[in-house]
Amino acid sequence: MALIREIGWLLKKELTLEYRMRYAISGILLYVLSTVFIVYISAVRIDGAVWNVLFWIIVLFASVNAITKSFQQESGQRQLYYYSLLDPRAVILAKGLYNCLLLLVLTLLTYACFSFVAGNPVKDAGPFFLAIFLGSLGFALTFTFISGIASKADNRATLMAILGFPLIIPILLTMVKMGAQSMGLIQGNSIRSDIATLVGIDLVLLAVSLLLFPFLWRD
Amino acid sequence: MIKKHWWKALGVVLLIYAFTVGLLVPLKPGIQQVSPRSADAGTPITVLVNGYNTSYPADPTAIRAWLKVDSIHALAANSIRQTSRRAIELDFVLPASLPSRADVMPASLIIDEAQSGVQVLPDAVFIRQQVLDPAAGNIAWSQTVIQDLHKTSGMNFPFRNILKETIRNTYFHVSLWFAMLFLFIASVYYSIKHLRTRELIYDHWAESFTRIGVLFGILGLTTGAVWARFTWGAFWSWDIKQNMTAIALLIYLAYFVLRNSFEDAERQARLGASYNIFAFSLLIPLIYIIPRLSDSLHPGSGGNPAFGSEDLDNTMRMVFYPAIIGWTLLGYWLANLSARLLILREKYLSE
Repeated sequence: MALIREIGWLLKKELTLEYRMRYAISGILLYVLSTVFIVYISAVRIDGAVWNVLFWIIVLFASVNAITKSFQQESGQRQLYYYSLLDPRAVILAKGLYNCLLLLVLTLLTYACFSFVAGNPVKDAGPFFLAIFLGSLGFALTFTFISGIASKADNRATLMAILGFPLIIPILLTMVKMGAQSMGLIQGNSIRSDIATLVGIDLVLLAVSLLLFPFLWRD
Repeated sequence: MIKKHWWKALGVVLLIYAFTVGLLVPLKPGIQQVSPRSADAGTPITVLVNGYNTSYPADPTAIRAWLKVDSIHALAANSIRQTSRRAIELDFVLPASLPSRADVMPASLIIDEAQSGVQVLPDAVFIRQQVLDPAAGNIAWSQTVIQDLHKTSGMNFPFRNILKETIRNTYFHVSLWFAMLFLFIASVYYSIKHLRTRELIYDHWAESFTRIGVLFGILGLTTGAVWARFTWGAFWSWDIKQNMTAIALLIYLAYFVLRNSFEDAERQARLGASYNIFAFSLLIPLIYIIPRLSDSLHPGSGGNPAFGSEDLDNTMRMVFYPAIIGWTLLGYWLANLSARLLILREKYLSE
């Protein structure tokens, strides 16, 4: 119970910070808009397959940028203050949940912008939005944990990319595949096993993050 | 001395056994090539057969041959001529129709003789038919019964037409991968132990196991690429299994970069251990789940049967399992040396 209360406080703190500074959301909005614009003017014609790949790649890079700062925004002293007050599991869960929300907003925003400039090839919305939801959760959990590791080092941005990108590939590939299926680009009814894979990966990530974060945070 | 180090000797002996037996035992006699690959029903054909490791006798009556279109329908060769120990010519008179309504039926070629045993080439000749008359075809193709087949004598590895001699790579490519997985599991075990006890010695063990695991991974990838050159036509064909494997190696190379970005040994150990466990939990879907759900050339993916269900016979098992144990023990030995080196370095050089 105490854990859920702590998560609630932390989430409220993150949202209040976000509301006061409007750093993440405005940064992401601009990032997405400019990326979509660059993609739009550099590609002559964007058909289904290219749309799918570009969409998930924009989402990937935007997510890395959005989450990298999750452990770097706050000063060392403030971290120490949290650590003396809170359960580490509450910290990682709150960060993960907040980042997941952020990524959902980001992905839906990208989807809206991208559909606006390049058309919307999604035929079967159900699996597509399910892929967005499960994928955002997976992205958020992986990158939150990696940013927890990377924030301890000096070369944060490099570490974030070399640690995070290979790890994210199973999730990204499954999302691309589900996206392609929802656009009718590939046939077959592997959607169930894809969903099962994503849910499985998310659960494993959640369990491993919860188990490992207590060892990571105190420094 | 022997009591303490018996496992090293065992590993070396098993590997020597795997190398000698694995490379020296001959393949079973098999059919390498036939021509022509297609024929029309109702015409006589002469099939030229190139055997592999065969010793066809000069006396043609000692050889029997059939074309088999399904489990009950087969046709015996009319006459057989031996041109060399590796080549024979078979004359068939194909009946006017096939026992099916299909336009084309693939026929497997079966050759049987006492010395080499029975040899089968699946889908050797594709037979086209103009006149669809399954009833007549049924009668014409039911005249012969395949029976009294000979067994190949001696110790042999199976002959697979696309693999040929490269089937021996099972003892290196596949075994190295098994050993790599065991090494990574050991590494995760020591990482967990380090996180629980904070002892640096366990971290040295975890790092050493990862080092050797990566080495085995690179060797496995290389032997796999050589094998792919022979069977798929290119060292690297952007197959999902190859790509995922390369990514898995990137994940572990990143582990070393991560460790090197910290000066402090304690920090290095703790963050390295956390990342190691986290990475391993994503490595399993990466190499073992995702490729199975996608189309791939590799056995065990995209509906292909895993290598082993029918290709791995008992003779191969006699080499394959010792090879896995041998590589694992060798890997453990290498990791052991590396860990001892790290521990000594920490002890004498850090002051």
